[in-house]
Amino acid sequence: MHPLLIGPALTAGIAAALALVIAVADRLLNDYGEVTIDVNGGKRRYTVKGGSPLLGALAGEGVFLPSACGGRGSCGACKVRVLSDVGPHLPTETPYLTPEEVSRNLRLGCQVKVKKDIAIELPEYLFNIKKFRTTVERIRDLTYDIKELYLRIEEPAGGISFEPGQYAQLVVPPYGDYKESTQRAYSMSSRPSDSGHIELLVRLVPGGIATTWVHKHLKEGDAVEAVGPFGDFKVRPGPATMVCVAGGSGMAPFKSILYHIAETGAHPDKEIWYFFGARSGRDAFYLEELAELERRLPRFHFVPALSEPKPEDGWAGETGIVTEVLARYLKERLPPGAREGYLCGSPGMIDACVKVMTAAGMAAEDIFFDKFA
Amino acid sequence: MKMSERDRAAAAGMAPGAITARGFLGSDERALADIVAADEEAAAALGLDLGAAADRLAELARKGEAGLGEPVTVEGRWLVRSEESRGRLPCPWRDGFYHKNSVSVEALEGGERLVFSELSLHLLREHHFCQGEGSPFRLDPAALKRLLGP
Repeated sequence: MHPLLIGPALTAGIAAALALVIAVADRLLNDYGEVTIDVNGGKRRYTVKGGSPLLGALAGEGVFLPSACGGRGSCGACKVRVLSDVGPHLPTETPYLTPEEVSRNLRLGCQVKVKKDIAIELPEYLFNIKKFRTTVERIRDLTYDIKELYLRIEEPAGGISFEPGQYAQLVVPPYGDYKESTQRAYSMSSRPSDSGHIELLVRLVPGGIATTWVHKHLKEGDAVEAVGPFGDFKVRPGPATMVCVAGGSGMAPFKSILYHIAETGAHPDKEIWYFFGARSGRDAFYLEELAELERRLPRFHFVPALSEPKPEDGWAGETGIVTEVLARYLKERLPPGAREGYLCGSPGMIDACVKVMTAAGMAAEDIFFDKFA
Repeated sequence: MKMSERDRAAAAGMAPGAITARGFLGSDERALADIVAADEEAAAALGLDLGAAADRLAELARKGEAGLGEPVTVEGRWLVRSEESRGRLPCPWRDGFYHKNSVSVEALEGGERLVFSELSLHLLREHHFCQGEGSPFRLDPAALKRLLGP
């Protein structure tokens, strides 16, 4: 060997040997063997291979915690109460937990590693959540940036059982520059009676992983996984008038709720007002379908509002930001009596609607929402 | 250019899969310090104050919130849409957490369009980091100048 090459070759050899030692040590020292996850005081027990995050270990056993970031520790959705000692809260967890949650030892399932036997507490409804293997049956453009995604459930047989208003998590596989799978939550717009399908409305978010995948990569016939149902955004019983507000893809849960009510006659005492905001004609959708539903269901009133209608829209409906229209209707048009608010949209939209509703005399505890964030 | 220990840690956090799936560097293979230095130089040549640009974008984003998630015309010059996602993201330099969001600002005249988040503005304002070439959230100084005007 040329004397000049001996130095670099020696360095490379030492580096390779060190890497090998580290790999072997990691395998030996971090082998936690089998560990047990005890759920709800022994009601359920799972034996898993130790060392992986609690979120993934539970998913491997068919128990799915909510997660909107695929376990990256950036959504704070996978909170779980840990009853045994798993060490202090990590700096990656505390930004997502209130002091009260910390004192109750709530942890992020994606950050806590199962290195020894662990006892946790989970709400019972989580055991009804399943992973569905589906095929994309149809993708339809609702607007230039919103797609209707209609998934046919292949497995498990029997399809999905859910309440209108709940959401599912779409599993986004690695694609393009994205090397890891992730999940994103979307409200289901399908009717519960259509248990063989899951329909989602997906708006393209610039730079968004899941929405870019749906809009630019996903094709009819592709296989897709979804996990659900999650969430407690549901119609409350009783005769109070429903005042619903949404914009854009916030339409999804209301489509499910409204068609379910029309189909089953559920909540017969409720009058329903639905305010839907969009900028101009090109941002609005389902207008004809909901106008038709209004004719079929006399207690349903649909109020679409455009904030910046274009001359070519030929718009004859309500004009203004949806909260302005809502305020006007709450004051002048809606019947007196008990009212309940149902909101789906961005935190800003929710906050603005809550302000308008409470100013109109609605109680904050009677306003329910599905915040995108 | 030599990087401090803190910059090296930040650069590691900018890799795909660390803080965000796609990371902050795009296809840019330059060292973090070189990216920052080059963008600072480009901004200076354009007479663009990166901190002031961040403040202006934040102002447009705030005004865009009036659209309640829908696109809205701001000051008659820009179409602004603000999307919010669940959760928060840490700054790669570990000096704060920022809500996950995506704000799109498009000039009605000329069509220049930039997408940014609360974290992007912090990176621009506090670290003069415009993100790497090819990052979907890159705030290129020349594009900023075109979007915001003189």
